[in-house]
Amino acid sequence: MELRLERLTKKYQNTAAVDNVSCSLKNGVYGLLGVNGSGKTTLMRMLCTLLKPTDGSICLEGRDIFEMDGEYRRLLGYLPQDFGYYPDFTVRDYLMYIASIKGLRPTVAKKRVNLMLERVGLTEAANKKMKSLSGGMKRRAGIAQALLNDPQILILDEPTVGLDPSERIRFRNLISELSENRLVLLSTHIVSDIEYIADEIFLMKEGRFVQSGSVEELTSAMPWQVWSLQVARADVNAYQKSYQIANVKTVQGGARLRILSAKRPEDSAVPETATLEDVFLYYFGERSGMDDDKI
Amino acid sequence: MIRYELKKVFARTGSKIALLLLVIVWCIACRFATDVYWVNENGVEERGYAAVSRLRDAQREWAGVLDEERLRQVIEENRRINQTPQAKSSDVRESNIAYGWKQGIDGIRTLLNCAYEERFRSYDYYRADSLRPEDASEFYGNRVRLLKEWLAGEGGDSDAVYRLSDAEKEYLIERYETLETPFYYDYMKGWVQLFEYISMIIMIAMLILGYLVAGIFSNEFSWKADAIFFSSVHGRGRVVAAKLEAGFLIVTTLYWTAVLSFSAAVLGYLGISGWNCPVQADFSGWKCFYGIQVWQEYLLVIGGGYIGCLLIGFMTMYVSARFKSAVLGVMTPFVWIFLPSFLGNLNSAAANKVLGILPDRLLQIHVALKSFDLYELGGKVVGAVPILFVVYSVLTVVLMPLLYEEYRRKQAG
Repeated sequence: MELRLERLTKKYQNTAAVDNVSCSLKNGVYGLLGVNGSGKTTLMRMLCTLLKPTDGSICLEGRDIFEMDGEYRRLLGYLPQDFGYYPDFTVRDYLMYIASIKGLRPTVAKKRVNLMLERVGLTEAANKKMKSLSGGMKRRAGIAQALLNDPQILILDEPTVGLDPSERIRFRNLISELSENRLVLLSTHIVSDIEYIADEIFLMKEGRFVQSGSVEELTSAMPWQVWSLQVARADVNAYQKSYQIANVKTVQGGARLRILSAKRPEDSAVPETATLEDVFLYYFGERSGMDDDKI
Repeated sequence: MIRYELKKVFARTGSKIALLLLVIVWCIACRFATDVYWVNENGVEERGYAAVSRLRDAQREWAGVLDEERLRQVIEENRRINQTPQAKSSDVRESNIAYGWKQGIDGIRTLLNCAYEERFRSYDYYRADSLRPEDASEFYGNRVRLLKEWLAGEGGDSDAVYRLSDAEKEYLIERYETLETPFYYDYMKGWVQLFEYISMIIMIAMLILGYLVAGIFSNEFSWKADAIFFSSVHGRGRVVAAKLEAGFLIVTTLYWTAVLSFSAAVLGYLGISGWNCPVQADFSGWKCFYGIQVWQEYLLVIGGGYIGCLLIGFMTMYVSARFKSAVLGVMTPFVWIFLPSFLGNLNSAAANKVLGILPDRLLQIHVALKSFDLYELGGKVVGAVPILFVVYSVLTVVLMPLLYEEYRRKQAG
């Protein structure tokens, strides 16, 4: 199965939220990494046929997904960033309803709902109303609905928002298990969500893919190097103004800085192995952490 | 899927309150509609089912063909009662006793007031008291004569001169002249009360139905559930149809439940006799130019109400789907109710023509039947009622696929 994006563009008035994006996606886990407002959500909404592209195309096995209509959506599972639900439905009712609109027959739906409730750890909350769930539980219900129809294409937009660290690890493992025979596209601005499970990562900035590849490829392709340097505490601010600082750790007698720089910042600086977080900082450094609107 | 769409609507607290409101209005309307009194031989008002029975028995004594002989008898009976000391007394209780004797002929006496008026648009409660038995022969002729005088602008109170064209005037006269006479008369308090209050039930039902269905096509957007909804296999097909069916079911079930149960309660209590009388055999229908009987009027009233509720229900859903807003949807029924009030203030002939065929008239067919709203179509004069039924039935059917397509091609986000 191949999902091909050709010169995909989505413009809002004169602003391109997604700008001329092309790529080919096959079975496996793909990570879409970018700061808020980089165009991840718009791209995913087009992949889910929720938005029509201004230009370009998305084809599954050579067929336009918008022309495939329901046939394409039958293969799709989607968890949006702003996960809406029906507040007065119980979790079970909610999942049964989603199962019905996903075309599952009632008998199959019942089994799948029970299975998904168990997988996301919501069996005991099955009869609680959606509006009474905690943020993390709602997110888990969202993950469950995305998986209900055993989708061949699973699109997850910021799936770990609201999950605690243990839930996040459990979710990562779940995605890993699921990725064997399907295409999973996972967008996030949290590096650790995809660092260990993504086969390929797309770095998205201002609507474009600025870099793509495996973690190793991305780290080795980064033009700058990572350095470790111990400095006096009083000098930390000066270094922050002069360099991209990936980390500041207070140690006895000063602070240990993790610096991204093309050149060795000081003779005492020691080269370090770059991580995906360093790559993220390199590409998005000046904007990472900004709470922009979702584009 | 329909089950879940219905569940989405009725799981909301607001919907439960709306239904409760409908029940309360239903109870109040029932209370008023069945509040009939009988003045007993002591001049004291009695209420309750016994009073209804006595009134019915008294009026049914005068049931039958309202020919010259029967009218002469009524005039004589009225004169006889007027000659009694009780009728002549200035004491309220004595007057009430005299009125009590007239209750059997009260309906026919009212028709006499209408038929022997000086002008088409005036009404004198005591006109029947001045009639002589030999006047009975002019009863039906007067009805046509007064209309002709009014249409000719005589008497100075006629707006027909500028409101109606010559063809429309001719049409009205022809309808009056060809109306089958003499009328059959019977006790019809049940129908009179039903027609007086059923419009209230239909209006309130429409507002409440509008509120209930307004969210069907906009909830996904307001709850931000649109992305999952539209990315599902049936999100742009079968579920949209299920939403339409849910809206149709809600309007149909609640409307007929409210209207039929109200009719059953009122007619069950006050009686169904009079169903085969012409609508002109009651004061409210005296001037009506449609040659129909009471049971036909009832079918038109409830049928028109249903088409009106369905149409405005679908309009509500269309607006909420178009603008992704239940609030705008809920406003739709109010616009249709208040727009006629606004147009009525314009006081122009063209505005009056438009007013006569606005969808709110479907909710008040009882009133539309008694109005002289006429339209010339292809050289033929037609009353507003058939136009309302045909045009809005077609529009309702046309709205369904439009609504389906409007929602189906929505973009999420």
